[in-house]
Amino acid sequence: MDLIKAAIQDGVLGQDFLTWLWFRSEKNGWLFRSSDGREFNVYLEQRLSVRGGSGDNVEKAVVTGPHAEFTEAKLGLRNGKLVDKALLRLERDGATWTVLLGSDDFSLSGLKTPKIETRLEEGDDPDAPFLEKMMLLDQCLEFVDDLYRQFLEIRLSTGWNDELRTFREWLSEQ
Amino acid sequence: MGILAASGSFTRYAVVGDMTGQIASEIPERLAKYSFRDIDNTADERSFGWVCLEDWLDSFWHAAPPEKAHYVAFSLRLDTRRVPPAVFKKHFLLAVKAEKEAMKETGKSFITKDRKSEIKDQVMLKLRTRFLPIPAVFDAVWNLRSNMVLLATTNSKVRALFEDHFNMSFGLSLEPLTPYFLARRMTDESRHALLDDLEPSPFAAP
Repeated sequence: MDLIKAAIQDGVLGQDFLTWLWFRSEKNGWLFRSSDGREFNVYLEQRLSVRGGSGDNVEKAVVTGPHAEFTEAKLGLRNGKLVDKALLRLERDGATWTVLLGSDDFSLSGLKTPKIETRLEEGDDPDAPFLEKMMLLDQCLEFVDDLYRQFLEIRLSTGWNDELRTFREWLSEQ
Repeated sequence: MGILAASGSFTRYAVVGDMTGQIASEIPERLAKYSFRDIDNTADERSFGWVCLEDWLDSFWHAAPPEKAHYVAFSLRLDTRRVPPAVFKKHFLLAVKAEKEAMKETGKSFITKDRKSEIKDQVMLKLRTRFLPIPAVFDAVWNLRSNMVLLATTNSKVRALFEDHFNMSFGLSLEPLTPYFLARRMTDESRHALLDDLEPSPFAAP
């Protein structure tokens, strides 16, 4: 485990990913396809933070609001900042997950899954609520992994420069 | 924070090393060996160890076994005794005063540095027995199929403690699934050098 290499590259990969995800989700009409071929929706909303600079010169802007347009955050992007934390809303078949994803370590804060039934009836498996919750948590992690895998595919390909050009067009349209 | 709570914060790990049948079968035994020990009736500053996920007062898994389908679920309990600094300061000053009073009889008035530090230790020990430890519990789930662990906290101190205690208990280390490590797991080995040298992308301007 190369922890020093990881500490440097975590920030680069994480911020690139979340910045790409914001643009890509809007560009795709918030629609992505998971590895099992099914569609799911990804919205970045309510809370987003952008960060720029390094060392003592780090500048951050946190934008929150129920239907935030993130104008301030987009201004930050134009000034070279990148997305640092984003509240993701993931939806499939009417079920909703929300999670605040941190770019530096992929910490998952305030992860909410669809509601589960915790009351047991007689004869129910006592582990049923736990297993249902784990299935929902695993599903959320799969969504995040699918998005990250799609990002890595383009990020590590020669197509990344074209992707960045499309990103700049998107940013100038805002 | 409970796995079953409506909302929770999580850190993900990959268990490094092969998951053999022997290790899997030894998990309950190892959890019990490295389980939590109560310190309510001691002066210990801190105690930590594994407890039953369903009942964090249970270090013996009487309430429910840790195995659930292809998961092993348990909690890390951490009890910490905290003596508020102001309380410590007051009792330390009182002890120094008492020491000076006692010294008057011998005609001395100077307390050496070593003696001061001795008084500090004694005061702290005495106060610790009067404060009850504050318990905290963090759920963890080990998916034996994927060999990944989900820990219900993002607190860096608790994470470090969990990683060490996991390693101590099972002889296996944990790799945090941060962007870099996750990327290495998701990509072909031929692209690992690329991952090592990535620079931040010029998103705003070429």
